[in-house]
Amino acid sequence: MRPALRRGTRILAIALALLLGGAACSDTERRPDAKESGSGRTDSGPKKKGGSVTIANTAGQTWTCNFNPFNPAVFNTSIGFVYEPLVFVNVLGNAAEKPMLAKSYRWNADKTEIVFTVRDGVKWSDGKPLTAEDVAYTFDIMKRVPATDLYSLWTSAGLQSATAAGDKVTLRFKQAAQTYFYFFANLQPIVPKHIWSTGELASRPDTTSVKDPVGTGPFKVDPCGPNNIQYTANTDYWQPGKPYLEKVQYPAYLDNAPANLDLASGKAQWGSQYIPGIEKFYLDKSADHHTWSPPVQNVAIYPNLDPSHADTSRLEVRQAISYAIDRAKVAEIAVGGQQPPANQSGIVTPTFEKYYDAAAVTKAGFGKPDPDRAKKLVEGLGHSASDPLKLTIITVTGYTDWDAALKVVKQNLAPVGIELTVQNLAQQAYLDKLYNGDYDLAYYSQPSGGPTPYYELRAMLHSANTAPLGKPAVSNHSRYRNPAVDKLLNDYATADEAGQVDIVKQVGQVMIDDVPVIPVTESVDWFQYNTEDIGGWPTEDNPYAQPSAYTFPDTGQVLANLYWKPAQ
Amino acid sequence: MTATTVVHTPEPAARQASGGLWRAVRHNRKAMAGAVILFVFTVIATFPGVFTTVDHPDELAFPPGLSPSTGHLLGTTGLGQDVYSQLIYGTRESLVIAVVAGALATVLAVLVGVTAAYLGGIADDVLSMLTNVVLVIPAFPLVIILAKYAGKGSLGVILVVLVFTGWSYGANQLRAQALALRNRDFLQSARVRGERRSYIVVFEVLPNMTSLIVANFLGAALYSVLTAAGLQFLGLGDPASASWGTMLYWAKNQEALQSGTPLWAIAPGLCVALLGVAFALVNYAFDEIGNPALRPVRRRRRER
Amino acid sequence: MRFLLRRLGFFVLTLWAALTLNFFVPRFMPGDPVAALTARTRGRVSRDALEQMLTSFGYKPDQNLFVQYVEYLGNMFTGDWGRSIGGQLGEPVTGLIGQALPWTLGLVGITTVLAFALGTMIGTVAGWRRGGWLDSLLPPVFVVTSALPVFWVALMLIFAFSMNAGSVLPGTFNYDNSIVPGFSPGFVGSVLQHAVLPAATLLITLIGGWILTMRNNMITTLAEDYVRMGRAKGLSPRRVMYGYAARNAVLPNLTGFAMSLGFVVSGAVLIEFVFSYNGVGYLFYNSVQNVDYPLMQALFMLFTVAVLAALLIVDIATVWLDPRARSADAGGR
Repeated sequence: MRPALRRGTRILAIALALLLGGAACSDTERRPDAKESGSGRTDSGPKKKGGSVTIANTAGQTWTCNFNPFNPAVFNTSIGFVYEPLVFVNVLGNAAEKPMLAKSYRWNADKTEIVFTVRDGVKWSDGKPLTAEDVAYTFDIMKRVPATDLYSLWTSAGLQSATAAGDKVTLRFKQAAQTYFYFFANLQPIVPKHIWSTGELASRPDTTSVKDPVGTGPFKVDPCGPNNIQYTANTDYWQPGKPYLEKVQYPAYLDNAPANLDLASGKAQWGSQYIPGIEKFYLDKSADHHTWSPPVQNVAIYPNLDPSHADTSRLEVRQAISYAIDRAKVAEIAVGGQQPPANQSGIVTPTFEKYYDAAAVTKAGFGKPDPDRAKKLVEGLGHSASDPLKLTIITVTGYTDWDAALKVVKQNLAPVGIELTVQNLAQQAYLDKLYNGDYDLAYYSQPSGGPTPYYELRAMLHSANTAPLGKPAVSNHSRYRNPAVDKLLNDYATADEAGQVDIVKQVGQVMIDDVPVIPVTESVDWFQYNTEDIGGWPTEDNPYAQPSAYTFPDTGQVLANLYWKPAQ
Repeated sequence: MTATTVVHTPEPAARQASGGLWRAVRHNRKAMAGAVILFVFTVIATFPGVFTTVDHPDELAFPPGLSPSTGHLLGTTGLGQDVYSQLIYGTRESLVIAVVAGALATVLAVLVGVTAAYLGGIADDVLSMLTNVVLVIPAFPLVIILAKYAGKGSLGVILVVLVFTGWSYGANQLRAQALALRNRDFLQSARVRGERRSYIVVFEVLPNMTSLIVANFLGAALYSVLTAAGLQFLGLGDPASASWGTMLYWAKNQEALQSGTPLWAIAPGLCVALLGVAFALVNYAFDEIGNPALRPVRRRRRER
Repeated sequence: MRFLLRRLGFFVLTLWAALTLNFFVPRFMPGDPVAALTARTRGRVSRDALEQMLTSFGYKPDQNLFVQYVEYLGNMFTGDWGRSIGGQLGEPVTGLIGQALPWTLGLVGITTVLAFALGTMIGTVAGWRRGGWLDSLLPPVFVVTSALPVFWVALMLIFAFSMNAGSVLPGTFNYDNSIVPGFSPGFVGSVLQHAVLPAATLLITLIGGWILTMRNNMITTLAEDYVRMGRAKGLSPRRVMYGYAARNAVLPNLTGFAMSLGFVVSGAVLIEFVFSYNGVGYLFYNSVQNVDYPLMQALFMLFTVAVLAALLIVDIATVWLDPRARSADAGGR
């Protein structure tokens, strides 16, 4: 359960972040305005310092006390806390940007070159100043040691060079790269050259363990043990007055149950996983307990569209499934209503509301479950409830929210004449079948998205991301191929903001017409918070960052913003 | 078992073995208690429909998290299933795992153990070595690896895994007893009569080992009940299957104890315990029925 | 000498079989560590990058399997166990095990010894006073406790003691996170407090077996001539009970006890899982879940070696305590 639920949230975060990146692509100097920035509305004035927050986010293992930001296993505990990106992109705030280590940037006209101006007055936690050299060196590490190039910047994104001059850093790309902005400006943190250019870190930046990280972030590690990381405030932090909290405790919860118990008792204040029966177990325990888990991506049924799969490659079958599913019911049962239902257009709402064409969804009859229509479609194929069409769906053992969702889907499909068999597979076996197209239906959620729906749609539908049956596909596992969609998605990279919205809407219409993927629920960024002693949380009214403790670099925004109420 | 081994003619020995066993069970309260529990579970497993009106206990047909009432004797799960009917329908798979895995492991144990003892020489060396190797490799970690990498925890996979790790202890014991039997008078006489080896093993040796074989079956069944429940609880079974271990898995990941539906976790655990206890009681009674002086030291066959 | 060689052969064969199973079983199944890590990082990171990352930590999927196998066997024996390629990506396996092992040895080891000692004591008294209230009560009770599913007992104890009553007895972690580990009274107290419930679970499910076998052994031993002899000589009942009967009755159990010590290291997977206790059992469960070959392989070898070491002790003890060798000594008393 743990992986499924948490993965959903992250995906959303990524999707949002990508959305923002896309929106940021004008050729004028961008200096995101203060209203949109991380300090947010609630931050009405400087706060007094003091207090601490305890994070209850299931780690599933003890801490290794490695804070190497190139190691994907320790992203969550290092980026945002200790290391910071150039620009923060708020997936939840219509891709609003907040300048971090870069105080501004400028794209050239065809979006192949970007110049960052590095903020002055920023100090590394060892006292040395941040320079443009540090930024360029960070990208050079990724070129020199490909294992550290986690976002494939030097390969797929076409990065050609990273050069520093004065306080400017220039990144040159082979082609238009604005869709990668989210990754290189927001997800990739900057490391200090003077530390990473000597000794083992210089020769093996990928495998070397960093026990005592030097970063620019709001907190420093002090101390770390297998059971708990304690962070203390970086008193030299570049954002004046911040952070307000003095300490952050991050215990290594091995399981959701104890983490949730500590949230319920108030021992921990920042929760980031699914809580079953949240009203009774958490919300009712105190008026200070709150939850807000914004949706970020789709959890969907991926039909196998290859003609060799006679049933699932028929449009009528896919339409029947989509009409029959009671998405609201699935959402209510699977995760107690804590995840919203999805829609057939594949646009996650309300997060990406501006790309969503509600009228189109309703017009096609996907506005609400329509079992009668589904039944007619199935009857047209010569099947009925007594002589059902038999389909098998694969899912991952241990993703219990998916299991619960499929229980409902199965119940929805039975009366319209489709008998669904749920096949639980261990994760490796499942991924093997999914990647190679060895399935009829698969329940799946794209692992990564971005700050606009474009990122998820491209992953799902672009033919560059698919492969023939028997060969692993990158992300288009249903094997959808449509030149018109490919063109739309390709045009996105150079379109202006309005054009991008239009493209996404058109692709959403294709989702409705062709039903290449059947979205069922939306996955969320899990978040519970306690306002008894701590203020400054991101909320639905002030979504200044994705709120979960595992979404980086958003954690850095939240950490810098939280304050201790008793000290005020 | 001593009572039976001193009998010289094979036919009476067999009859007396089983007849004596049954009489002994009837007169032992522990054995009776165990037998009654097993009987009740068998009836429930065979005719689950008689005990509940819910036909599809897996369906999310009710409001989630209801407290016990006359409609839902044990309340409903956090997802909206009737706990009581899940329990009833879960009996079958739990019992099948115990009996089938227990029986297959015992058959394998008899095959390997008796063959080794009877063939002697190199065959014995090889088979005993094999038995000891399997005996020493830590069973539960191996079970986890096997179940995990089989890709899906279907009933078949669980049975294979349990049999594979569950036969060696019995094989060792059976080999020892068969060795002891080899030189008994009645076997010597059978050999003198010119009976074939296979005849001697099937009709003369095995009947005299009934008691130990049954004890072994009970031990293997107990091991299977507990190990299978542990595996399913860890999520290495099939989460769609109807069994007590699977119920416990769901109860655990929906945090039943914390979120106000504790019976969801308590009841199936209690049933696993009852089934285990039933096998253990009958098994223990067997020890009592036999001569205490001959009681073997039992390797602890349960994972902790 | 022949016996010794056979024994040695057996040890080597067992170890080889365990290592081989552990190498080939995961590799012949679908899926691989890259897929597992892709899912763990929510696909944010490309598959190629992850494969490269894993390669830099020693994962070699493209190498010939047989070459890998030979290399693996060599590494296992030289102690070059590599680095984790699972959830604790990049950590040296020895470090991870070194950190977890003391907790398992402490919790499970001490509890196993305690269960044996207590069980033997209670069993002795029960067998000695055969037919007494203790003796009529114990067998049924402990037949029941020894057949309980251990993880369920753990859940029930957590439910009863750590969920509602203000967490008097914690049901998670191995010590209070707010305490910095060290030899302070607070830390030691916290460790003990956190060990109560898991230890109780182990005791409840372990002790029954020892009580029952000890009681039965006592009853058998009490019928022996030397015990009657001791009574006839007019020795105090206490002396007869401990010096004559229990002394001999416990012998058959020692083998089982030594074996159970061997299984200490591997035996606590379920307990550690339920109590979120950071021992090697939990580490092993995690390594299997994350397709972390190096960690899984090293742990499985450790588990097997522990049992083999226990067996070795049994072998030595058997020679040492052989009843025939000892009988002359006993007669001399």
